[in-house]
Amino acid sequence: MTPDTPEPDLAGTLTVDAIEGRYARVEREDGSTEDWSLASLPCGVQEGDVIRLTVIDGDLDIEIDHAETQRRRASAQAQLDALNQAAPSGELDL
Amino acid sequence: MRHVLALAALSLGLASAQAAAPGAPGVLTIRFLDVGQGDAVLITSPEGKSVLYDGGRSEPRLQALLNLYGVQSLDLVAASHADSDHITGLIPGVRLFKPKYFLNNGIAGTTQTWNRLVTAAQQAGTQGLVAKDQTINLGSVKLTVLAPPSGMPKNEQNPNSVGLLVQFGKFRALMTGDSETAETAAWLRKYPAATLGPIDVYKSIHHGARNGDNAAWLAAVRPRNVIISVGPNNYGHPTAEALALYKRVGATVYRTDREGTVTVVVQPSGQFAITTAHGPAVPTNPPASRPAPAAAAPRPATPAAIPPTPAPASSVYYANCAAVRAAGAAPLLRGQPGYRPGLDRDGDGRACE
Repeated sequence: MTPDTPEPDLAGTLTVDAIEGRYARVEREDGSTEDWSLASLPCGVQEGDVIRLTVIDGDLDIEIDHAETQRRRASAQAQLDALNQAAPSGELDL
Repeated sequence: MRHVLALAALSLGLASAQAAAPGAPGVLTIRFLDVGQGDAVLITSPEGKSVLYDGGRSEPRLQALLNLYGVQSLDLVAASHADSDHITGLIPGVRLFKPKYFLNNGIAGTTQTWNRLVTAAQQAGTQGLVAKDQTINLGSVKLTVLAPPSGMPKNEQNPNSVGLLVQFGKFRALMTGDSETAETAAWLRKYPAATLGPIDVYKSIHHGARNGDNAAWLAAVRPRNVIISVGPNNYGHPTAEALALYKRVGATVYRTDREGTVTVVVQPSGQFAITTAHGPAVPTNPPASRPAPAAAAPRPATPAAIPPTPAPASSVYYANCAAVRAAGAAPLLRGQPGYRPGLDRDGDGRACE
């Protein structure tokens, strides 16, 4: 493999966990996190976005998967709303 | 498999520490856990009720720390917000102890880590508790929830961080996740000054980031002791600006990357002592002669320090660098729990880099 060839494991998705100054902390598909330079990600990337990495003929294509981002946001929010639904109000004693 | 090995190595090393570790009855114990770059605060009331406010970025590391400090139960876990360096360690906390409540900001994350946390809470039968103005009694310790104010950006986690004010007698501690200036400014408009300060022990916002603590906020909070939960990072945390702010308000600063876990033990009278796992000795309270901040209102007398209890010796042992990495602790810096020259091949003070 030449140094110019993207590594095979680059293909797949990243999820933007947080943006910290010039870096985005991204979650790989295996659940691990890495810091990526914001400059290496698509312009306008935001926290929570799903980034799709595709290797075509040796070139790495990086784009925001807006549909998957929306799907995940909606699904996760529904799950959390259900968990929070029966929360008691007022003063709580543990 | 790597995680299993790491946990085995950690549990062997920690076994001797467990018996002596639990907090003494009758006191409030707050531990700012050394979780590397991230936040995790363990609060145990005199009645033995426990809260985990954030859990750091590593499941095995947090689990090892819960073992080290002899945690037998958790009644509530709180995610200040959904970032992985705050919530990952909550997952084993939920799985192991099935807490009654999971306090959160009501804004779901899109990561697998977030999904695993909420799924674990569902499976444990833990009730979600979206943050609102609410008081939670942890035995004789009163927790006041600082909910994210209205008007914060909906898809940004930091400015929607959940704050927690801890009160026990005259003692007060404050934690506010990774809040940003918009959120602290809104809290300043919302709460009377007496609600926010003075604060005896304060967790630095966002690991000392540039967009967290600010002069107006700290003038109201008036922290006497600041704990920065921070580890090796690419972001420049803590920033020189944040450190200058803490110096300007006359606070004593503790850093988990240098001193390890920072433990605060509070007597019913409000007297408290601060000890650290390792690192240079630091004063328990600011010197009495320190100048008061310009905007400070008259404050009650600083609680007298009680003699600090000896800091527990580090008994974390990593068999090899694979175990260090599996625990999310790499690179290990000289002085941190688990560091030893055998793991630091080039002897530069950074093992398993």
